[in-house]
Amino acid sequence: MNTGQIISGAGHIAVIGWILFGGMLPERELEFDVTQVTAVSSEEYADIIARSNSPEETSEIAPPAAPEVPQDSPDLTSEADEPLAAPQPEAAPEAAPDPAPTAPPAAPQADVSPEAPVIEPPSEDMAALLPDSAARPQQRPAERVAPQQVEAPEPDTAVDDVVREEAVPDEAPSEIVREEAEATAPEAAATEIVTEADEAAPLNSVRPRTRPQQLRPAPEEQPAPEPETQTAAADPAPAPATDTSSVEDALAAALGGASAPADTPAPSINAGPPLTAGEKDGLRVAVQSCWNTGSLSSDALQTTVTVSFEMSEDARPIEATVRMLDSTGGTEGSAQQAYEAARRAIIRCGARGFGLPAEKYASWRNVELTFNPENMRIK
Amino acid sequence: MMARFTALMALLLTALTALPATAQNGPLRLEITEGVIEPLPFAVPVFVATGNGAQAAQDISNLIAADLSGTGLFREIPASAHISRITSFSSPVQFADWKAVNAQALVTGSVDVDASGGLTVQFRVWDVYAGQELGSGQQFVGTAQGWRRIAHKIADQVYSRITGEGGYFDSRVVYVSETGPKDQRAKRLAIMDYDGANASYLTDSSSLVLAPRFSPSGDRILYTSYASGFPKIYVLDVASVSRRQLPTQDATMSFAPRFGPDGQTVVYSLEAGGNTDIYTMNVGSGASTRLTSAPSIETAPSFSPDGRQIVFESDRSGRNHLYIMSASGGEAQRISNGDGNYGTPIWSPRGDLVAFTKQLQGRFHIGVMRTDGSEERLLTASFLDEGPTWAPNGRVIMFHRETQGADGQAALYSVDITGRNLRRVPTASGASDPSWSPLQ
Repeated sequence: MNTGQIISGAGHIAVIGWILFGGMLPERELEFDVTQVTAVSSEEYADIIARSNSPEETSEIAPPAAPEVPQDSPDLTSEADEPLAAPQPEAAPEAAPDPAPTAPPAAPQADVSPEAPVIEPPSEDMAALLPDSAARPQQRPAERVAPQQVEAPEPDTAVDDVVREEAVPDEAPSEIVREEAEATAPEAAATEIVTEADEAAPLNSVRPRTRPQQLRPAPEEQPAPEPETQTAAADPAPAPATDTSSVEDALAAALGGASAPADTPAPSINAGPPLTAGEKDGLRVAVQSCWNTGSLSSDALQTTVTVSFEMSEDARPIEATVRMLDSTGGTEGSAQQAYEAARRAIIRCGARGFGLPAEKYASWRNVELTFNPENMRIK
Repeated sequence: MMARFTALMALLLTALTALPATAQNGPLRLEITEGVIEPLPFAVPVFVATGNGAQAAQDISNLIAADLSGTGLFREIPASAHISRITSFSSPVQFADWKAVNAQALVTGSVDVDASGGLTVQFRVWDVYAGQELGSGQQFVGTAQGWRRIAHKIADQVYSRITGEGGYFDSRVVYVSETGPKDQRAKRLAIMDYDGANASYLTDSSSLVLAPRFSPSGDRILYTSYASGFPKIYVLDVASVSRRQLPTQDATMSFAPRFGPDGQTVVYSLEAGGNTDIYTMNVGSGASTRLTSAPSIETAPSFSPDGRQIVFESDRSGRNHLYIMSASGGEAQRISNGDGNYGTPIWSPRGDLVAFTKQLQGRFHIGVMRTDGSEERLLTASFLDEGPTWAPNGRVIMFHRETQGADGQAALYSVDITGRNLRRVPTASGASDPSWSPLQ
């Protein structure tokens, strides 16, 4: 055992001992701190008691007057309770037994509903459309307007302590251009001050995508559309078209780092945040509700199959990717039957989407489900 | 101290929860252990008719749907709910339309009846949600009069392709037809399709007949007749309806016969001198072999599917229980352990279960248990349930139930081995002692 381990062990023992036993002694000392005694004379004490009792007030506040109200109608309440209690237990047993045997015939009507089961899931496009319809607040008047129009806007000049040359985005990709948005106009050259309300903020809110480069440290740079430092909207030229091509690019840059080159290899699709236990249970319950083993043979009910599939971003399984990875406990034929039942469960209940969080797409894009029919066997 | 302890626990929890949150490698893996047990929705749109096949197409489609629905494992989606119409057997299936009505399986087909009465039926089975065919298309050729059998065969194929186990629709049942009051009841052998259709009589009612049993190939029937005054075993050829008595000792009673799986060996009970024991006999030579010699009553023997063991009932323990012994005799092992009296055991064609009759507290039950006596479960309960017989696939049991009173009638019922889907089998008159044939 080397010295480092000894030191580490001793240190851990000391810390644990301090946590477990070190707090005992100080607790006794604390008891003395909280005890305070104040001497009060007998007159003062009598005066305090006299004020705190205030017998007149308590007698007025005393709610006995309220209880007197129900006392006037005790007969009504007692009579009303009896008939209410009686019919309830009688109605329950009559209704319970009859529907049970006749339940199966009622089921078909619901399943044979002509309504198409496919329901459009909430998608990014839908989320993007919503803000368009929202009324924007009234623009506030410009706080200051220059008396004269500046004839030659010099967009590249900026008020700054450090003199820097503008980097020309000649061949640079978009992410480099975004950084140049820090260039500011001189205060005197502006015709007006563009407030945040007037700034051309994106009208559409887009559902955030997965963190594309989670393993990469987030850059410190702010996203390109920086309202406070941006010059007047009258300067369209310096802003490259590629810089504001889409809001999604901006969000991706914000989340994933604007400095990442465009040809950066895509990160691992499984590198997303994991699902919570509740989200996993939701998926499990959804599949279970469609896993019908009623028509499976006894042999198929002895067969456990593992099925893999891929899901689209709206949490629907891609049918072409459903395949059987493994099977145990049965013959090839029974494995095929068990697999087909599992496939039906995945496709049927996945047709409406499993409702998984889009921001965790990388965690549930590829799924492997093991269908174990042990609890479904005929017993 | 409490604050420190809380802080320490929070630190530990944070560290533990942070571990799996770092990253997830590989696909999301879950285990599904619970499902639902409900009939699988299916659709059988009317088969496309060509020639003179319109009526046959309607009848065959309906019968296939009835066969499948009658199992309790499937639920037909009525034609009124169909969105798509199959106008050509070779046209591609619009799966979206069938998904919309929640049809998980789809059966399409065509029927052609030529001028000479020849019937040609083609069919396909589709997995709607997978968007692909289950198996491959098949064609049956027969006569227009035999449309029921063709429909049963198609239903068997559909059943097999979806469930993975064999069907039982193209099979027949021999039973004892009963007419008249209980004290003057006339009994004769009758045979019918499994669903009660095409019933016909094999014997007259001049003598009492009991316990008919099909041979493994379905071409012969063993039964007990009192034609000679004593119960004797007869074998009847189904095709020619000719019969002959199996050789047995004089002044003895032989009964409860069953074929062995080889179709040549018969196991039966013989009462001689007040003692009933189990024997086997070669049908061809008539040579008998005694398997038991206990002073108790041993009867109702039934071979295992492999022919190596025999299950029977005996009262050697004071009450009727079920025992299993070697097909060559020897020591028997009791497999039933519950209260009540057990009787009329019959081995499942799969070999995994034994069906039996149980009398307990004044009521009769049809039940099943593992061959070692475990997992006993009672499927029915009534005033009198008796005579279980297995469907060819070992999934369904048919038996007879008799109602109470002087006017009580016997009728045939079927039940799934899960205890669900109890159904009465339609017969023209009272019926008892059913025996299910193998698939034809």
